[in-house]
Amino acid sequence: MKITSDHFLEHADAALADPDKAQRRDLLGLFMPLARDAAAARYGDFEALRVHLKQVRRHTMEHLEHYLTRFEEEALRNGNQVHFAATPEQLNSTVLSICQDHGARRVAKGKSMVTEETALNDHLQQAGLDVIETDLGEYIIQQAGETPSHIVGPALHKSLAEIRQLFLDRHDLGERPLEQVADIVAEARGILREQFLQAEVGIIGANALVAENGSTMLVTNEGNGDLCANLPPVLIVCTTLERILPRVEDAMALQRLLVRSATGQPQTSYTSFYSGPQRDDDVDGPLETHIILLDNKRTDILASDYSEILDCIRCGACLNHCPIYVGVGGHAYGWVYPGPMGSVLTPLLTSLEQSNDLPNACTSCGRCAEICPANIPLPDLLRDLRQEESQRQLNSPRWRRGLRVHAWFLRHPALYQRLSGWLMPVLAWLGKRRGSLRTLPFAAGWTGTRDFPAPEGGTFMRQYRKRGKVRRRRG
Amino acid sequence: MAESPRSEIMARLRAAAGASASATTPEQIARELAALGFASAAVLPAADTCIAFMANVLANKGSVELAADRAEAVRVVGRYLYNRFRTHKLVAGNDPRIAAMPWRDAGVLPRFGAAENGDGAALSYARLGVAETGAVVTWTGRANPGRNNLLPEDHLVLINREDVVATLEDAWLRIRQELPAGSWPRGINFIAGPSSTADVEAQLVMGAHGPRRWHVILVGATPAEALAEAKVLTAATGP
Repeated sequence: MKITSDHFLEHADAALADPDKAQRRDLLGLFMPLARDAAAARYGDFEALRVHLKQVRRHTMEHLEHYLTRFEEEALRNGNQVHFAATPEQLNSTVLSICQDHGARRVAKGKSMVTEETALNDHLQQAGLDVIETDLGEYIIQQAGETPSHIVGPALHKSLAEIRQLFLDRHDLGERPLEQVADIVAEARGILREQFLQAEVGIIGANALVAENGSTMLVTNEGNGDLCANLPPVLIVCTTLERILPRVEDAMALQRLLVRSATGQPQTSYTSFYSGPQRDDDVDGPLETHIILLDNKRTDILASDYSEILDCIRCGACLNHCPIYVGVGGHAYGWVYPGPMGSVLTPLLTSLEQSNDLPNACTSCGRCAEICPANIPLPDLLRDLRQEESQRQLNSPRWRRGLRVHAWFLRHPALYQRLSGWLMPVLAWLGKRRGSLRTLPFAAGWTGTRDFPAPEGGTFMRQYRKRGKVRRRRG
Repeated sequence: MAESPRSEIMARLRAAAGASASATTPEQIARELAALGFASAAVLPAADTCIAFMANVLANKGSVELAADRAEAVRVVGRYLYNRFRTHKLVAGNDPRIAAMPWRDAGVLPRFGAAENGDGAALSYARLGVAETGAVVTWTGRANPGRNNLLPEDHLVLINREDVVATLEDAWLRIRQELPAGSWPRGINFIAGPSSTADVEAQLVMGAHGPRRWHVILVGATPAEALAEAKVLTAATGP
């Protein structure tokens, strides 16, 4: 996927100017956290589960070579062909050559963020293959020529009316009402069923890879990934190194966290462990299966101070809880992964040069870290990226100058207190009549769209001292 | 010759892990892992495993019926098929447990084998039920081809009372016992609801690609009050 993260601010402006879409996002930001909280509360000790998985993850990452080797051995024993891809291009060309070896024309795909990352569809389509996304949300945005706005609900930004018009334009099915959500689902079901039956290759992602038995875990509600994994004669699993977990029980622990954080369910309709091609006892299933393990900078991230982002299980909860994501939507982020996890991953998987606005798309409110099922300190990682950005002088000179002035004042508390002690009463006096200020010097960007609440007149330190809590320090 | 992606990746992993991790023996790693233990399961909605299982199946938008024995299960299936499809057509895998049931008593004529596009109802005999999540477990093979879970309009599942376990860890313990290492099936499927989607307007719709209805029949001596209690629990806690 082509990255446009360097236009984050313009994208965000445009998104905020569309009230209908903004309202859809507000609803998402309201209801998804409620569903997650209810599910976590029903679970019992959700925190203990979170801590447990974190320990297992850290252990696995520490011994990733061991577990990766084990997974490979077991997967080969199960009859899979295992491929490694260091770069997105290697993954794409491996998939294409498998398709070409079988003379395949039609490919049915389950939802896979990894293949969004490598822009696999473009690569296959350029080679003349028919690639069809089968997750309903992915299918809708594929038909619309758009990209996902959310990693779990890729088409949630589109209204029923938009999808209706899209289907009327794209599906040659004559006059029909197509007015209910159920009509949309039924129409897509009919079209996609044919695709499952005709596809020569199925492509799916994996929510976890199990080292002890070489199987891959797939979690869906639609069952589209399972149809891709059971009907076409060739199956390709596109995944990344860090999905590995030691045991099936660990995959189940991940699943418990993933599903409750993503949709609030106890388990999705389908949780499947696929191990390889047809066995002697099978009467269906693929005859040939491939697993492609992509690195794409994960090994660099593992060696860096950002390694905890590899614990991300792609539940989307940090998106739903983020005031910035809910405000501007997924497309503003300009690449595959939006929201807090995306603002960490995008600079690491592409470059900070191309995406230096993203780590700043954060109010440091900390909600994402509070609910992240993988216990990733997202605000800390974003702050570290901002620091790196400042050190490498990637942010605007004006910001850096402002930060330098601010830092200088913070290092001189006496001066800072004297200045604020003088400034606050002035601002309070200026804003006395309205209770707020329309404009402020040096802050036109802030006051351009909202008023600045007038201060009360005093400062915290003055109050603190007045109450005799601060003893005089030396000097 | 250029390095293969595999050796490149492995070398990078070794470098990232540092000297201490690569010096650890597989036995040490196994001990470390064992010391971490397993996760704690979700709280069950009821103390009775079967009631908890039924409550969660209902919460997952499934439907539940009771059958005291296999003869009654045949009648339950027959009635369901007639009410839904006005036929007695059914497809089921070559599961000896299904084949041994007295289908003719209810006029049901199962076709044994893999489900095809257009089939109305498929029947599976689940290996396990999981109370914690309201899931049934099947695995692929002659007894239950993978597509039988996915292609029909309605998926009917028989599950013996004694095969309902409390937690997902209990389920894996049983799976490990029943399937000797190295003979794992192609696919192990936890099914916890009809095929569903909320991708349009976040509105939940059944029958996204697979079964629109998921009907679980609990076989064994379960009092009718147990099902009634499960229904009350589901209504109280909501989906």
